[in-house]
Amino acid sequence: MGNIMSAPIGYSPDDPLDTVDLEILADLARISAMLDPVPGGLVERSLFAITLAGLEAEVMELEYVRVPEMSVRGEAPPVEARTITFTAESLTVMITLSTRDDTRIRIDGWAAPAGELAVELHRPDGMVSTTTDEDGRFVFEDVAPGPASLLLRTPGADGDAVTTPIIEL
Amino acid sequence: MTRITEDVPEVDEPEVSLGDRAAAALLDYREGKHQALADFVKEATPLLWHTARAQGADREHADDVVQNTWMALVRNAHSIQEPHAVLKWLLVTAKRGAWEVVRKQRDDQKRRTELPDDLLDGPVGALPSSDPTPETQVLEVERDRHLWRAVLQLPDRCQQLLRLISLADRPDYKYISSAIGMPVGSIGSNRGRCLAKLRDIMESDQGDRTWETS
Repeated sequence: MGNIMSAPIGYSPDDPLDTVDLEILADLARISAMLDPVPGGLVERSLFAITLAGLEAEVMELEYVRVPEMSVRGEAPPVEARTITFTAESLTVMITLSTRDDTRIRIDGWAAPAGELAVELHRPDGMVSTTTDEDGRFVFEDVAPGPASLLLRTPGADGDAVTTPIIEL
Repeated sequence: MTRITEDVPEVDEPEVSLGDRAAAALLDYREGKHQALADFVKEATPLLWHTARAQGADREHADDVVQNTWMALVRNAHSIQEPHAVLKWLLVTAKRGAWEVVRKQRDDQKRRTELPDDLLDGPVGALPSSDPTPETQVLEVERDRHLWRAVLQLPDRCQQLLRLISLADRPDYKYISSAIGMPVGSIGSNRGRCLAKLRDIMESDQGDRTWETS
């Protein structure tokens, strides 16, 4: 089957887009989605990132991640823990993440210089908060794995909040 | 085949485009209303994803680039002068972010391949592929394979342009082409060079080889 009406002179770039063009583009969008799909959860991660960016807090530097040696032995059930340090000009925060089973995580944190601070744990599905004790320590006993960011601020004050980059608990 | 050249109606431009929704979402966001932006993020993330991927970012880095692009939008929400340029702003930001990671990766790779030990560690030099899955397995329908084969015969920039505009609306085409550095007028109210060429290729691939011109 050929083009019976005319010699194949080709399609003109100057013609208006027609429905076939749009059909081709629609097919192409579908094919792109099949060949290189957007990763699952990217929209959710983006929305979370936007929420955090909207807090307008200074983002801390991730300074140091210590992963425990894997060859720990003992009678107690294996405790996997990692320690992360975040720094901003005004504050340093160290957190240790420990898991006792595969599903729940405990966060032990310490902020310096010590002082009463409000600590917010932001998750894609919401936020929980606590405060530091006089030594700058805080705990989130039982949290689910997944992306998270901590925000720390002087209670009552509006400014001077700092936030950690998003970490994977 | 179904794609016949004669008597195909022209189509009207849709009235509200992706770019319009971007502008509205930004204006809402400035007033403290966040829902429109959330909806827009859902809608436009595929476009940013493919923009980052088209620059050669691998899947992991493209993921970061998209998130960073959205964060940058929120951080700059109050300083973006022209809300109607938001879509282009996002595309350019994603493109530059992707360039940056690709450049870093290439530098790292260069450094690493200079160490002979690494050669034993597997495919160090493997560059990110723009098609992570074998296409023949993924595209089950001959019509799709036919289109895709034709697309792959286009120059890279045409491939990029068509893949990106396919994810947007017609009034947005001009922003997309200028964001990826194609001349204004590459596509829009007119079919443009890339799409014209694509249709020529599809036609000549289509069976009757005697009509093949080149």
